[in-house]
Amino acid sequence: MNRRSFLRNSAVMASGFAAIAAALSPLRELKDYSSMDEFLQKYYKELTPEEMQKVLKRIENQVEREYGLRPHVRDLRPMDGVEFVYALNLTRCVGCRKCVHACVAENNQSRNPEIQYIRVLKLPHGSLNLEQADHTYAPESVPEKGYFYMPIQCQQCKNPPCVKVCPVNATWQESDGITVIDYNWCIGCRYCAAACPYWARHFNFTKPSIPKEQINPDMAYLGNRPRRQGVMEKCHFCIQRTRAGRMPACLEVCPVGARKFGNILDPNSEVSNIIRKKRVFIQLKEELGTSPRFFYYFDV
Amino acid sequence: MNTHSRSSLVLGVLSVVLVLLSAAFYFELWGRTPARPAIPPVDPAFTNTATVRMSGAELVRTGGDASGLDCYACHDHKKQVVLKYDTEKRIILAEEHNDLVMAHGTHNRNNNCFNCHDDGNLELLQTRDGRELKLLDSTPLCGSCHGPTYRDWEVGVHGRTSGFWDPKAGELTRQACVSCHDPHSPKFPQQKPAPAPHSLRTSRGPTEEKGKGH
Repeated sequence: MNRRSFLRNSAVMASGFAAIAAALSPLRELKDYSSMDEFLQKYYKELTPEEMQKVLKRIENQVEREYGLRPHVRDLRPMDGVEFVYALNLTRCVGCRKCVHACVAENNQSRNPEIQYIRVLKLPHGSLNLEQADHTYAPESVPEKGYFYMPIQCQQCKNPPCVKVCPVNATWQESDGITVIDYNWCIGCRYCAAACPYWARHFNFTKPSIPKEQINPDMAYLGNRPRRQGVMEKCHFCIQRTRAGRMPACLEVCPVGARKFGNILDPNSEVSNIIRKKRVFIQLKEELGTSPRFFYYFDV
Repeated sequence: MNTHSRSSLVLGVLSVVLVLLSAAFYFELWGRTPARPAIPPVDPAFTNTATVRMSGAELVRTGGDASGLDCYACHDHKKQVVLKYDTEKRIILAEEHNDLVMAHGTHNRNNNCFNCHDDGNLELLQTRDGRELKLLDSTPLCGSCHGPTYRDWEVGVHGRTSGFWDPKAGELTRQACVSCHDPHSPKFPQQKPAPAPHSLRTSRGPTEEKGKGH
């Protein structure tokens, strides 16, 4: 190799490297992986309690950096002898969509693009044909004559198709019946969204945008802590509330009391009463064998 | 041209292409992704957990203006209230009670104040079986006619609940009948619906009347 070809080749290679570096520069904007700890974090079920404490601290710091307020992030575990069940009275529901927005506010969902765990369908009386459903209805006032309303959210199936298809076990069913997602373990393949027959899973195509003053600081690791771009999220029965004994946000806001929630293993709970005594049209799409823990019922 | 200079040429061309590409990416020559249209923030009324109306008991508890509950500010203790009816047997209310909409029950069958109020003492309520109740404690009165609903309400199946599902963690609050139903016009009022979802794909807002077919 002579001097001239060495200089020429090195100039070519230098500009080539510079070009590759420039082409890869968008990677520098991946700020979500700023901390090596987060990148190397273990699977949720393998974390020791001490490691979990560190992880929760780190999430609190991240949220504080990004949104300017100190949240309280907890890792709430399922309680013994508790299995959650939801019951919804189709005769009472007026289709006001308050549950949708209470859920968004409680669970720190993206406001733009909108991610909403609950979708309210308007259906003509006398049928349950979901193909006739309208979810963009916007009349002056509800309910409209001749229609009923059916809110749909994660059905917390006993036999969840979304869990079966996850290639990395980032989503699983807990002993109290809630199907949860480890947002740090999710690779964003969206298989679960394709598998779910209820359109319950929602994907963060962009970084979620939440106004700083609207962040709910009461957070749970498997629940409503802010998600990053590229992960799946879904209704988790307000894990940060229900595992602390409280009612979910969608239930508390319902102006007509159509929503009922509780422990099905307790024979005196409201939901046990409903399932024993009311006309429960068992479960949505029960022919699929998913066996939801979400029951729709009728009343007089 | 020997092999050596040819490979240099290829490398040179390749690096020029890469430099141009990176410049194009950097200056976004293909145009920016258009910004998503803004979605107006949701009215806080839609996340408010208050009941649709304020019951008398709630008004007293929160320290509101409860002067409307003091019957004998206007009525006389000694004078019996006489009810007046029009030719179609609809009750004619005194002007002071014009804020009441009398629509309890169909076909004007429940148009008698003293079906519920006590004619001897206006600050009491009376059930048909002769029990006397305080004006602010009306739930058993409603239950004396609406038995099945009352039974459902007692076990939490009818009506609003909030607070704790787990009795070990805290208390469960159950709303009284009159927190949602106006006793004089009990049909649940029409509600204004919250905005419909904004579609991600078309960035369109909620449509007024969507085409019925697909």
